Amino acid sequence: MRIFLKKLGFFLCITLAAIFSLAPFLLFVSSAFKTQTQVTAIPPQWLPAGSLEFFHSAIARHGILQYLMNSTIVAGTATLVTISLGTLTGYALARLPRRLAQMILMGILACAMFPQIAIAGPIWRFLRFMGWLNTYQGLILPYAALTLPLAVWILSLFFREMPEELESAARVDGCTRLGALMRVILPLSAPGVFTAAILSFIYAWNEFFLALLIMTDPLKQTMPVGIALFQGEHTIPWGEIAAASFITTAPLVLMVLLFQRRIVTGLSAGAIKG
Amino acid sequence: MTRKDQSFFLTLLVPVILVLLLFIAAPIGQSIFLSFHRIIIGLPQLKTPFVGLDNYQQLLTDPVARHSFWITIIFVATTTFFELLIGLFLALMIHHHFPGRGALRACVLIPWAIPTVVAAQMWRFLLNDAYGMVNYAVFGSETSHYIPWLAQPATALVAIIIADIWKTSSFAALLILAGLQVIPEEIYQAAKVDGAVVWRRFWHITWPLIRPALLVALLFRTIDAFRVFDIAFVMTQGGPADATNVLQLYGYKKMFVEGWMGYGSTLSVCIFIMVLGLAIIYVRMVGRRLLEASV
Amino acid sequence: MKILKSTIIVFGIVGALCLGAQLSRAGEPTTIVFLTWKPNQPEVWEGLFQRFHRNNPGVRVKVQVGPHSSSEYHAIVTQRLKNKDTSVDVFFMDVIWPPEFANAGWALDLTSRFPDPEQNKYLRGPITANRYQGGIYGMPCYLGAGLFYYRKDLLNKYDFEPPLSWEEMLTQGQAILQGENDAELRIYSAQFKQYEGLVCDMMEFIWSNGGAVIDNKTGQVVLDESAAIEAVTFVRDHIIGKAAPRGAINYEEPESLDVFIQGKAVFHRNWPYAWAMANDPKKSKIAGKIGVGPLPSFQGQGSASTLGGWQFGINRYSKHPVAAWQFIRFMTSHDNQKILAMEASLAPTRRSVYQDPEVLKKMPHLKTFLPAFEKARPRPLSPVYPMISQELQRFFSRAIVDRRSDVSEMAKATSARIEKIVKLGTMIQK
Repeated sequence: MRIFLKKLGFFLCITLAAIFSLAPFLLFVSSAFKTQTQVTAIPPQWLPAGSLEFFHSAIARHGILQYLMNSTIVAGTATLVTISLGTLTGYALARLPRRLAQMILMGILACAMFPQIAIAGPIWRFLRFMGWLNTYQGLILPYAALTLPLAVWILSLFFREMPEELESAARVDGCTRLGALMRVILPLSAPGVFTAAILSFIYAWNEFFLALLIMTDPLKQTMPVGIALFQGEHTIPWGEIAAASFITTAPLVLMVLLFQRRIVTGLSAGAIKG
Repeated sequence: MTRKDQSFFLTLLVPVILVLLLFIAAPIGQSIFLSFHRIIIGLPQLKTPFVGLDNYQQLLTDPVARHSFWITIIFVATTTFFELLIGLFLALMIHHHFPGRGALRACVLIPWAIPTVVAAQMWRFLLNDAYGMVNYAVFGSETSHYIPWLAQPATALVAIIIADIWKTSSFAALLILAGLQVIPEEIYQAAKVDGAVVWRRFWHITWPLIRPALLVALLFRTIDAFRVFDIAFVMTQGGPADATNVLQLYGYKKMFVEGWMGYGSTLSVCIFIMVLGLAIIYVRMVGRRLLEASV
Repeated sequence: MKILKSTIIVFGIVGALCLGAQLSRAGEPTTIVFLTWKPNQPEVWEGLFQRFHRNNPGVRVKVQVGPHSSSEYHAIVTQRLKNKDTSVDVFFMDVIWPPEFANAGWALDLTSRFPDPEQNKYLRGPITANRYQGGIYGMPCYLGAGLFYYRKDLLNKYDFEPPLSWEEMLTQGQAILQGENDAELRIYSAQFKQYEGLVCDMMEFIWSNGGAVIDNKTGQVVLDESAAIEAVTFVRDHIIGKAAPRGAINYEEPESLDVFIQGKAVFHRNWPYAWAMANDPKKSKIAGKIGVGPLPSFQGQGSASTLGGWQFGINRYSKHPVAAWQFIRFMTSHDNQKILAMEASLAPTRRSVYQDPEVLKKMPHLKTFLPAFEKARPRPLSPVYPMISQELQRFFSRAIVDRRSDVSEMAKATSARIEKIVKLGTMIQK
């Protein structure tokens, strides 16, 4: 009986968690399958009519797939840059003397604290100077800079957990310092890298204001700007926006469902302390 | 640590320092510089004279800025508290082994995967006073009872808080999850063998060990919450009657809409100082733990 | 000697190559960049661009896109213009921007290319909005004006003529609501969110009571006079939460129109675009049942409607002003305004289009709109209008949201602040 209650309690908790995350999204996305008059019906209607006109419109008229591709390229590359630089930095900060490391870490963290609106203008001017407006690198590099503080922080915490003996052992075996880093430390840092990667990716994926200022070429615009473009003069196409939301989350969700085994094993492998 | 070792580690820092200097530190410097000038970009004939601390003085007596400050404080306090709470709940859920765990993971991913501006539009739609699904879910077809969420100052603030909590709890959940993952299973096994109940196990094992992760989440959420912009911009544009005019939105209006580049920069510098101050307090109060990840 | 000879030959060849490159580039088309917002009907605009390319083989137009939201688009355009960026040649200006852009030196002065006789072919309102201190800085593309939409079927049912005064609208509305017995039906739907649209709607109420924000003749701020205060108080006490749903405080054009086309409002204030949408059976539940006319006024005063619309501007620092001018001249020609009117429902700014029989055949309602268009009033024309607008938005929103607001007190305070801003604007006249 006790076990049954425990299981029931747990099941309720899971349902709550799922409802919290899913319900608003489903309520919104159901509009993607409605007809135009159904979307803003007063009072609202639960069940959509099953129309796919909004999907067609979002893809054909608004070019959502192009925005999706651009966002993936920009966010993906920015994440790669952040992870590469972040791991090196996190590792260095974990090994340097405490005082020095803390000071540098606070300095890096301070960079994450300035309001984005204010630095958008200067960044824009620098990118124009380099001729990088309306290019992928014009967004990738600022995004990397904006996500580095958190990534470095997380990774440095992570690397501090790793005993120095690991590198020493490798050095004794004849590795250079760099080699020790590459061959011994990095493979073990998977969980920290994964966390930092996801956080960076999501930040770059969501970012709006910088993308708005820098990308005006329709071929290069990212998703947040792209969906802001759905809005016409005095019209908000809820149906298309809902369809676009569906299109952009479905692949990510599928990926997680398919790869979650791998993610889990990757995580727990790192949890075992050498 | 040998000299050679130190220089090796310091070299590793160079690329990051470079990137941050170029893209963040230099713009911050520019902003601080601008904050001491009077600049109206629509009136270039007035030039851009150096005005010392005038902008700062004006900011302290600006009633709209003061109002924005309090709005932002309320926003930061409520969102951070609930996001950490819900994040902890979600992280504990995902951490457990149970059939369908992958599906729950995917669910929790959804608020993340939608760009913030889209999520804000979504909530604007859901909270509409005539055809909003939230009103429908609560009141059914009795439209006369529908709450005009975004049309009343108090509920508008609540609305953007709800939208932010929904969107960002997963962020806290992920950070806390990372902390949960490093706790070895053996400790739990040993506790179970000793007969410890779920609550006991949580309080004596989990809670102390995830404190560092919780604190990292707290620190970063506070930093982000102070600078909230997208949600207020899309959902309410600061209204009604400035009820959701958070600091960075006010700064945007001053800088980009009205053209007060100097004053807008002053506002940004003040936000920066406040956040920096808070961060330093966190680190001091909580001790070196944040920077060391103790076990 | 041999070295000298070979050097000369080499230089000669290099020189010829460079010259050849220059000459061939001269034959290349000039590319101009048109930074626009995403239009409602992109196909129609694409068609126009292609027509332009056919008629002007020496010029190519490259289109860059920003969001249609006025403030976001303003941020993108001004970011480039204030940094003297040459990568933008042609852009749009909202009807309230030309003084700002002219004064800041961002928009090219078009006076030499767009003389008075040409200007007279356009409606007065848009031309006035584009002029600043004797010069003209934009070419009007299409215009908007606040219009009054109503449910013809409901008015007919209760034997009402379209109301001429706000008070009459309220009485008619109450009678209809009582008769219809529909819990969701409201009298009026319009835009009252704290954004630029609020200024448009409130100005109509204030003007239609004989008031103003800035007196045109004296230049004084008259927001704190009784006419304006009465109008604002009327909106707070009789419109918000009474005639209009409380939620109207968060309505922009789309939400307010949704209420109307779902059949839940008897009267509606909106721009001309709403006509087409409300009559489209695929989108609207009231297609064919609506009428349109000038906005009501207060007893004894004249109706007023706010001027809206977009104009073309040329970047003062553009490297291709000639090509840019060719382009905007083409886009605002009679034929193209005709296309935009008939296929994209954008109200033309040239008088001749309103007399074109083809246009009138397809869109007879344009004739009904014309009087309102002719009389549409611009908001204060000033390079510091954005600042004035922010003060007005704040004042209006605070006044109408709180039932117990002291409108008179707030108006005085706001007037004082607007005066300071106007003074700032006049400092540059020296």
